Amino acid sequence: MSTMIDTNPTDVPQSILKSPKHWRNRIAGHHWRTGDEEFDAAKLGMWLFLTTEVLLFAGIFCGYAVFRMMYPEAWANGSHYLDWRFGAANTAVLLLSSWTAANAVRCAQLDKQFWLRVNIIVTIACAALFIFIKLKFEYMVKLGQGKAPGTFFSYPHAHDAHEPLWWSLYYIGTGIHAAHVIIGAALFGVVLYYAKRYQAYGPTQYTLVENAALYWHLVDLVWIFLFPLLYLIH
Amino acid sequence: MSHTEHTKAENVAALGWDPDDPHGINPDHGDHHHFIADWRMQVSILAILLFFTFLTVAFFRLETWAEVAFGIHLPGWVNIVGAMSIATVKGILVAAYFMQLKYDKVLNTFVLLYCLLCVGLFLGFSMIDLGSRHMVNPIAAGEISYGGTGVGLNSAPADEDFSVRFSPKVNTGGMGIIYEARLTGTDSEDHHYWGLEKFRNDPNHTEAEFWQIHYGDHATHRDPMDEHDYFSQLGFGHHEDVSDANKSRGRTGLTPGIFSDVAPDSHGDDHGSHDSHDDGH
Repeated sequence: MSTMIDTNPTDVPQSILKSPKHWRNRIAGHHWRTGDEEFDAAKLGMWLFLTTEVLLFAGIFCGYAVFRMMYPEAWANGSHYLDWRFGAANTAVLLLSSWTAANAVRCAQLDKQFWLRVNIIVTIACAALFIFIKLKFEYMVKLGQGKAPGTFFSYPHAHDAHEPLWWSLYYIGTGIHAAHVIIGAALFGVVLYYAKRYQAYGPTQYTLVENAALYWHLVDLVWIFLFPLLYLIH
Repeated sequence: MSHTEHTKAENVAALGWDPDDPHGINPDHGDHHHFIADWRMQVSILAILLFFTFLTVAFFRLETWAEVAFGIHLPGWVNIVGAMSIATVKGILVAAYFMQLKYDKVLNTFVLLYCLLCVGLFLGFSMIDLGSRHMVNPIAAGEISYGGTGVGLNSAPADEDFSVRFSPKVNTGGMGIIYEARLTGTDSEDHHYWGLEKFRNDPNHTEAEFWQIHYGDHATHRDPMDEHDYFSQLGFGHHEDVSDANKSRGRTGLTPGIFSDVAPDSHGDDHGSHDSHDDGH
């Protein structure tokens, strides 16, 4: 659906009207013929980067599959130790934040500066909530019980000799994912700063919002697969 | 838009061609519309994604409940296929609508698909490797550890056929194979000859059979474990210095030994006589 640009334009304060960082004043780099080409190239570059991220997580998924095949009992026990409610809650939190990230792009395209900022703030808040749930109800509780990775494992009621390996994979997988959540939230923090300070993103110039949202969707995408693998499959 | 846009219309009219795009590669630039998502569609996608999350959890709970309440044990693949197919549908929805691949340049979709192909190869070949370690070359059977698949770390040899046989050294007593190998020192070089030990100790086989297969696979030089020089006895000696249909070896002259310090006859064993006799260079 094609929507007319500037249907709901935001008033621009005089202080930033002439700023070169305001979206109306930003022009494509001199080596691009048009802003569209610059945008398309940046987006393609982001997609190429996202493929490397997918391959990074593919290593974890492959490790999961290999060790599950080798030690099925340890993997079944492992998923029983995890509470699906926290996994499902975090899934909902990330899906919601993915929606607000998509909305942030839409608001930038329509020059709705206030709602752009609101959507980014909700996205960052969801990231914080995700990390809070992960640390408070999962990592800290499990580490307190001795369900720690590898040689740090000291849980006295383990049923299978390979459960430390399960916890290694659990902490590495969710830990790298949580690091991506933090990086994505920081990226949206940068976007929020420029959106608030300069109104830097609008209908003709929203590359960073788009790419930050793409990154955030990928984080969501990885969790969509991590959640059933770790919490539901036994 | 860039400042060249303002003068473009006049230029195009005067020149008859677009100075920004002289070859007409991108004829519609300037009024290119980016896709702007409908908010109702975005909300619908979010609702569907949350519904699928509910569905996958409900499926998991139902399965657990059936097992606990009625003792119905569904096979393992039901659980995996159910959860993974729902996750795949959710992933496609996120990629197509939130990441807007459906409305984007198709190049970005192909980038993702190619990446997923690589992931498929990565996972697929890992699984094929792990799942087929029991189907090995008979000569390698003595060296194969079944510990890698978690099957039979404590098992006795399964049958008399070399296709299913556990090396005694690989019986780790439940210990991880790598850890066991480090403890016992079997990760050193001599572990390559577990197969040889089997042939030597087996009344139905002779050591010559081992070396026949061994040198048949890779006859480049006499093996240090080949104490009785089956390398020469079985006629592989002439492979040592010359090229043949299967391999290429460096040569210092047309005739073996002609430019070397030692004359062919003074090699001291039948190795040298093979060279001069069989090949006749």
